[in-house]
Amino acid sequence: MRLAIVALLATIAILLSKWLILLFLVALGLWPITLVIGLVVLAIISIWHGGWPWMKHWLTTRLRGLVIPALSVFSALLIGGVVLILTDQEVYQALQADGLLAAIQIGITNLATAYKALYEGALGNPRQILEALGETLSGEGLKPLLRALRGPSDSLVQSVPYIFAGLAVALGFRAGLFNIGAEGQIGIGWMVAVFVGYSLAGLPAGLHLPLTIIAGATAAGLWGSIAGFLKARTGAHEVITTIMLNYVVFRLSEWLLCGPLENTQGTCRTKEILSSAYLPRFLDHPVTLHWGFVLAILVAALTGWFLFRTVWGFGLRTVGANPDAARYSGMNVGRTFVIAMFLSGSLAGLAGVVQGLGITHNIALGFQAGYGFDAIALALLGKSHPAGVVGASLLFGMLRAGAARMQSVAGVPTEIVQIIQSLVIIFIAAPEIIRLLYRLRKPKEEEVEEPVFSRGWGA
Amino acid sequence: MTVQAQSIDAPRTLGMSRRDLLGILLLVALGAVCFFLGGYGAQAGDQSVFTDEALGTLLALPSRATLYMIGAFCFFVAGMRLFRSLTSLWALFSWLVALLAAFGFLVWVTTGASMNLPGMLSATLMAATPLTLGAMAGIFCERSGIINIAIEGMMLSGAFAAVAFASIFDSLWLGLLAGSLTGGLMALLHAVLSIRFKVDQIISGTVINILAAGSTRFLNIRILEPAGLSNPGSFSNIAIPVLSEIPIIGPLLFINQPTVYIMLILLVAVNYLIFFTPWGLRMRACGEHPSSADTVGVHVNRTRYISVIIGGLIAGIGGAYFSLGVVGTFEDGMTRGQGFVALAAMIFGNWNPFGAFMAALLFGFANAMQVKMQIIKPLLPFINESIPPEFLQMAPYLLTIIVVAGVVGRSRPPAAEGKPYEKQ
Repeated sequence: MRLAIVALLATIAILLSKWLILLFLVALGLWPITLVIGLVVLAIISIWHGGWPWMKHWLTTRLRGLVIPALSVFSALLIGGVVLILTDQEVYQALQADGLLAAIQIGITNLATAYKALYEGALGNPRQILEALGETLSGEGLKPLLRALRGPSDSLVQSVPYIFAGLAVALGFRAGLFNIGAEGQIGIGWMVAVFVGYSLAGLPAGLHLPLTIIAGATAAGLWGSIAGFLKARTGAHEVITTIMLNYVVFRLSEWLLCGPLENTQGTCRTKEILSSAYLPRFLDHPVTLHWGFVLAILVAALTGWFLFRTVWGFGLRTVGANPDAARYSGMNVGRTFVIAMFLSGSLAGLAGVVQGLGITHNIALGFQAGYGFDAIALALLGKSHPAGVVGASLLFGMLRAGAARMQSVAGVPTEIVQIIQSLVIIFIAAPEIIRLLYRLRKPKEEEVEEPVFSRGWGA
Repeated sequence: MTVQAQSIDAPRTLGMSRRDLLGILLLVALGAVCFFLGGYGAQAGDQSVFTDEALGTLLALPSRATLYMIGAFCFFVAGMRLFRSLTSLWALFSWLVALLAAFGFLVWVTTGASMNLPGMLSATLMAATPLTLGAMAGIFCERSGIINIAIEGMMLSGAFAAVAFASIFDSLWLGLLAGSLTGGLMALLHAVLSIRFKVDQIISGTVINILAAGSTRFLNIRILEPAGLSNPGSFSNIAIPVLSEIPIIGPLLFINQPTVYIMLILLVAVNYLIFFTPWGLRMRACGEHPSSADTVGVHVNRTRYISVIIGGLIAGIGGAYFSLGVVGTFEDGMTRGQGFVALAAMIFGNWNPFGAFMAALLFGFANAMQVKMQIIKPLLPFINESIPPEFLQMAPYLLTIIVVAGVVGRSRPPAAEGKPYEKQ
């Protein structure tokens, strides 16, 4: 009975997916309104549960964990802004010509332009969305609305590989493994998926698409498990082996993409995949959001279920928390390392798969976009929890989408986002800095189990 | 550090530990490869000619016979290992095999061609320079108890700062100094995070790597390139009078980049400082047993701060080698993972400067070799095609994996590594 209801709801959701996604994008673009509506709904619910005390309790328990991450991101953006002003050529020209005051003024003006572009690239221009919404409702078609929703859509598109890569690193963290090899595993997953995507002709999409996704994920998983195997057998620290395997993938891809897999001489680019392997898009151009987003959310839920509701997940977390205790209680630590690296690698591989099947439809030289390295920040930011990783990925997706616009509008190199991200990791990893800066009290009990990687080079 | 479970209860085959068996198999495989290359990779009359710029032909070896002899020696050592004779000479023999195998490879590559041998050795020394500097940075850090995977980031930021300041002040030496100081600055960040804030040292190191990669690219695009500050030029070789006129050794050791001399001087100095001074003893105590060191009055965390920062200063010089020593400009991610290779050299060298230097020479040789092979393009037997350069470029990374996997169980890192020290 319950299953039937779930199936019915899922079917309805798939049939209405286009409109649901449209609604979601509008809600994201107009987030202040969404927030108010959400609070009103919460207030209505709280009437049943005892009014304001219940609502206050609900809010504080949900939001307490968000204080440090939110302040970290805020501080990182602030410092990023200072860096932008200090590296602005125009500021120094103004300083020489008109003095300090003018320099500060022009610095802040430029920063405002840059951060405004960052916001619009990430979440769109609310006024434009409202106007477009009005036009659409008065019967002028979807076109203007889609154009206005490009920002939120781009953010979600960017967050899809982030979710997978972040889950990969987070799952590794849970098993006490630091997988820095996500970038290379993404490359393997991407290349294999594209290869299967264009070489298996004549299959229906219902068969071809899943096959392609599984092939990419499995290949990347096997690649990842090399590091797990080496750690289990020889004690080689996965940080070194995964980084070295990254470089091996980069060289391998240079050879493959400019050699055996190249389509036309001199392009260093593969063939296009067949349309039966496309991850379909929900809406028309310029909204490029595709089903990979839904897949990412589902995989995140699945990862959470695996980690916290299955015996294997329990074993994995036990090994991560204390490998010695796990070994003495009879767990096969080595095998857990291999399995964990396989799962971690295949999750990272999926990040490449969705890019190949949903966005580029091929793979070209220089595909490395840094998702694998940013994923470390995501896992830390999300406290190695799938839900946290999804949230962090949405944030980083926005940063990345916004950075692209910031570059085209304000001429700021997108690398500023990398600086902001590393600052975020510093603040998250050392919450004491944030507590010192904002005079926060130390929490009474440290309830979060932190993974430990610094066990020396042999353990 | 936990006890290596595998090495204790590893299954024993033929009365030998698995490690011994693997070693023997490796030797046999090495010998077989030598015979194979000799038999199929070289023709009967082929010669491998090694030349020198000043002296002309140094050696003209018959390729096939040389490879056969090296192969036979590998088999011989494997047999000795199997019957457990000459255990006292074992270390010597394993080094000899490694050297001969490298030489055999060289012979195969130069089959039917000629090679400038001192040039090759000089390229090896050059490639080993940043690796040794990076490894020494790691040794300083880790001997005092702080894990350092941030060598890459320290070198990259050093490389960037060296170019920036060399262009601004129009002085390569000031650039070198600035590169070193910037490496020290990154090390200071690492130290503050991992000592003051007790951040996991692996995470702290990773942050520095990401920060260095991002900020150098950002500053390069935003400041250096628009301001035209990215071409300071590179160091030219300095010849030491008299000594540089010795044949072969002269050009190899005494006509070099300043960074190479700095590396060689530091090698001796660091070794002396760590192993022959009271401060070095205290520093090592902080890495092995900090609470004992504390009891006898050593300031553990202060010592760790100093060691990490010295390490960063050395890594910065290694970074300056990449930019000012080689190309004379800054490129994105120009350290190309050499910081991690340096880490592997440190582990291979057992946290010992001279050991790390030997390991760095090995990596440097692999690097020089792959560059050479991209030029000579030796044909593989049977396939009759040369190895694609991309695969050759993988060699140093694969070698790093092999070294880390093969050596880690046997080398002994400082005992207290990775643990923040808290006064009881």
